[in-house]
Amino acid sequence: MSTTTVTRPPAHAARPTPPAAVARGVVKTYGTGPTAVHALAGADLEVGAGRLTAVMGPSGSGKSTLMHALAGLDTVDAGSVRLGDVELTTLSERQRTVLRRERVGFVFQSFNLVPSLTALENITLPLRLARRQAEPAWLDELVGTLDLRDRLGHRPHELSGGQQQRVAVARALVTRPDLVLADEPTGNLDSHHGQALLAFLRRAAHELGQTVVMVTHDPAAATYADRVVLLVDGRVVGDLAEPTVPAVVAAMAGLERRAPRAEG
Amino acid sequence: MWHLTLRNVRAHAGRLRLTVLAVALAVAVVAGGTALTGASQRLLDAQFRTAAAGVDVTVRAAAAFDSAMGVEVDREPLPAALVDEVAAAPGVARVLPVVEGSGLLEVDGRAVVPTGASVLSSFAPAPFGAFVLREGRAPTRSGEAVVDVATARAAGVAVGDRVDLLTDGRSTVRVVGLVGFADGDGLPGATVVLVPLADAQRLLGTGEGFTELRVRTTTGTPVADAVAALRTRLGADYAVASGQDTAEASAAAAGEQLGSLRLVLAALSGAVLLVGAVLVANTFTIVIGQRRREIALLRAAGATSGQVTRAVLAEAVVVGAVGSVLGTALGLVTAEGLRVLARAAGSDLPEGRLGTTPAAVLLAVLVGVGVTALAAVGAARSAARVAPVEAIRASVDVVGGPGPRRGRATARAVPLVAGVVGLAAVAAGAPAALLAPAAIATVVGVVLNAAVVTPALTRALGAPLARAGVPGQLAREAAARAPRRTTSTAIALALGLALVGFTSVVATSLRDGLSGAYRETITADLVVESARGEMLGGLSPAVADRLRSVPQVEVASRVRYGHVLDGGTTTALAAVDPATLPAVAELDMVEGSVEALAGGGVLVAESLSTERDLHVGDVVRLTLSHAGVQELEVVGVVDSLDAQALSTAWIVSLDTYARHFAEDLDASVLVRTAGGVSADEARASVRAALADHPTAAVRDQAAAAQARGAAVDEVLGLVGVLLGLVVVLALLGVTSTLALSVAERVREIGLLRAVGTTSGQVGRMFRAEALLVAALATVLGLGLGVALGALTVSAVLGREAPLAVSLPVGRLAAVVLAAGVVGVVAGLAPARRAARTDVLTALAAD
Repeated sequence: MSTTTVTRPPAHAARPTPPAAVARGVVKTYGTGPTAVHALAGADLEVGAGRLTAVMGPSGSGKSTLMHALAGLDTVDAGSVRLGDVELTTLSERQRTVLRRERVGFVFQSFNLVPSLTALENITLPLRLARRQAEPAWLDELVGTLDLRDRLGHRPHELSGGQQQRVAVARALVTRPDLVLADEPTGNLDSHHGQALLAFLRRAAHELGQTVVMVTHDPAAATYADRVVLLVDGRVVGDLAEPTVPAVVAAMAGLERRAPRAEG
Repeated sequence: MWHLTLRNVRAHAGRLRLTVLAVALAVAVVAGGTALTGASQRLLDAQFRTAAAGVDVTVRAAAAFDSAMGVEVDREPLPAALVDEVAAAPGVARVLPVVEGSGLLEVDGRAVVPTGASVLSSFAPAPFGAFVLREGRAPTRSGEAVVDVATARAAGVAVGDRVDLLTDGRSTVRVVGLVGFADGDGLPGATVVLVPLADAQRLLGTGEGFTELRVRTTTGTPVADAVAALRTRLGADYAVASGQDTAEASAAAAGEQLGSLRLVLAALSGAVLLVGAVLVANTFTIVIGQRRREIALLRAAGATSGQVTRAVLAEAVVVGAVGSVLGTALGLVTAEGLRVLARAAGSDLPEGRLGTTPAAVLLAVLVGVGVTALAAVGAARSAARVAPVEAIRASVDVVGGPGPRRGRATARAVPLVAGVVGLAAVAAGAPAALLAPAAIATVVGVVLNAAVVTPALTRALGAPLARAGVPGQLAREAAARAPRRTTSTAIALALGLALVGFTSVVATSLRDGLSGAYRETITADLVVESARGEMLGGLSPAVADRLRSVPQVEVASRVRYGHVLDGGTTTALAAVDPATLPAVAELDMVEGSVEALAGGGVLVAESLSTERDLHVGDVVRLTLSHAGVQELEVVGVVDSLDAQALSTAWIVSLDTYARHFAEDLDASVLVRTAGGVSADEARASVRAALADHPTAAVRDQAAAAQARGAAVDEVLGLVGVLLGLVVVLALLGVTSTLALSVAERVREIGLLRAVGTTSGQVGRMFRAEALLVAALATVLGLGLGVALGALTVSAVLGREAPLAVSLPVGRLAAVVLAAGVVGVVAGLAPARRAARTDVLTALAAD
């Protein structure tokens, strides 16, 4: 297929590790007949463990759908999605829910927190749902690194946008998930807070060993990633290792030109 | 904007559906209530007008007032000679003397006891009577009678049968015909037996006299002229009135008992409207909250804030109108239901088709629309405050909001503080009139300020839920940390429960007070009273006479009642036998003595004595029904509780009563049994002696004390109905508010689902929240209601005579249980909806 460079080893990691998540030939179609939308039309992706991967593509390219499929938020029509050694496509809705709370972390663009819970309660929510205790050292490390120590008792409306997003990141990481998914995490932040958040996501991958997949359309944000995967019309069509802004912009421009051709 | 309003209503039809239903239910109660009382009054009017259709003028003995407490007063019989005198008057064509009274019908040895009157009257042929022969012939010879068709059918009486009539004695008559009443088969709630005039005079003991003369005028004589002529001729001793006026007065007297029903229904309507209004206000506040972006867009596009306000109000008017029309349609069904309930509670309402009038329909619709629009004013004003810039700004994630804003806290505290200060003043002895405004201010204050205590209260109440698992914990936090949302969801239920709690406490305390006073004062071993509970008592004087001859009875002391007009209001006066009363009742005297009654004069209750500064030796003026204004000397002051046991503040002797009243019925006979006679033996012998008086109930003192509370029990029955209605409305309220809250929190639900909450947990969370809301409403509402009820009892009702607060524990437990059921049931639909929320759609929602 058109996937090309997934096997290229990351620059910073000498030894190859098994991928954290793998999608193969994933097809997802919304609607039927002439109005059918092929959100994913045979997408293949391997997400390297302990790396920050950015997914980019024009609107409607299937970025979010692919991410939802990886997270077990949505079902797929065909193909296989594996998270570690678990095949998600055969799980029931309930099993996927349990898998989400134990093995996947989320950061959304907005509305990341439950308004009635404090920052700390929001962070530990997935643990409470799974009736697990937080590991004190890990929680402490997250809270310290994200500079949230004196905001833990506050409720979301008492926090700044950047703080809210950092709480969301802490929550996504608190279970030490196999996969952290971030959908436009800097979309609602100013550039200063955005850069700080991206830097942390990168640190989470490199220093804390977390696997992070981030959907973005901001080339500058993408440069924080170890690797950029390009999506068009529901397929992965390109892959950039160690991206730079000009490289990403050029690749994106290429995609924009390709898009109308709907090549197959 | 009107166009947009309709579009909005249609687009949000789902959200407004429950609101429309709530308005419809509230309006149905209002419409049903007015339809029932209105139609009942019309039916009564028609009934009496029909009865008097052929009568131009009636002549009766004069009375100071026609009726009291829904009962027409008894009048002196008219002398026989009056017939000729009336017949000789100018303009009089024909005169028919009539004797009317009551006599119990007995068929095959079994008494036929109607809920209303047992009419025994002389047969008046058309056009003087409204009873028309349906079968057989009129009674002409002595010992013949006709019975109304409805009674005959119910009791299985046919022409040719023999039935017994119980008056002072027992007489057997032969049924020779059946009559209908105009178009109907009989009088509602009554048995009718008509006999020849001479029999009626004998049976009812009027001697040669009559109770009424019915007059037909000569053709061409205006009724008014005939009335005037007769008045001049007969003088002030006789009441001359046109047939129509007499009918109207009778209808008005019968309608008086509709008064209390009207009051209860008005209270019911008020309560239902209040709960409905709170519900509407909630819905609109939430719906407007959800539409802020849309409203901001309208403002950005050039809509003025006035236009926005009007658009929201117009939406409320549409909702109100639709609900009101539905409610009015439901009203007739409700009226039938209310009639059944009122009958069950002891109200005697006429049979007949319940119709409604355009005016009543218009009123119900206006009330519905008005209340809905008024309830939406707050939401409309907050909509008007939406700034255009909100359309472009990213949505703010503050859902449910923090606690009440501090800036307005002071303003909000004003009614609460004023109310509590008022209540404290009443408790300390301020005028009772202050109670109602203070109570209302307190309720309003609690409604406005409840959100302040909601977080702490919700956490405390939610503790068991939180222990049950994560959904319970989440529900508890969500409820505690959005106090305004939680409080507004709970408030409709809380208000309803407050009302129920208040009425229950007041009614139960009154009941226990009444029976307690009776128990302590009346020392009789047995009490004989009419099982029918007539207003003035329905025992023939023969009962007491008969009891005196029973060897097991040592003392049989009569108590009877009469109506007096005292300072514009009619009230009851008791008559007792001063010689025998001390043997069967212990009246604590503050001044004077019971024995002093023997010389004439009156005993007054201590409360009355204090209020009017009346003491032994003072003279009071009372208007008696047919003796007119009388001056009576105060010969004693009775302890208030003891006077209450006799249900009156005025007590005279039987001799004094006989001089001033025409009525000759005992309300009860207090019996002391002879020494050495067992209770069972005494009761058995008394029962046997009274075999001819089937309506005389023989009770021991405890049972008689219990029976004092019967009237209050009827009120409590209506409270049960009220509770049912409130529960239904509150159910709608909690469900709709919670459903809207689910819609409002769809992103929160999506987030919870994304981070691993199962759909089952989401459902449990909302069910737990509903239960928590119900618990909060119970604590707030029932607490407030019971507290206000207790205050009313101890500080206001207890002023006249000491009254202890009785907490109806069983009833309150039932209320708590009902509230719990509301919590469980109300949460079902919203929780299902929340659980079914699709994760991705929820996350994508804006």
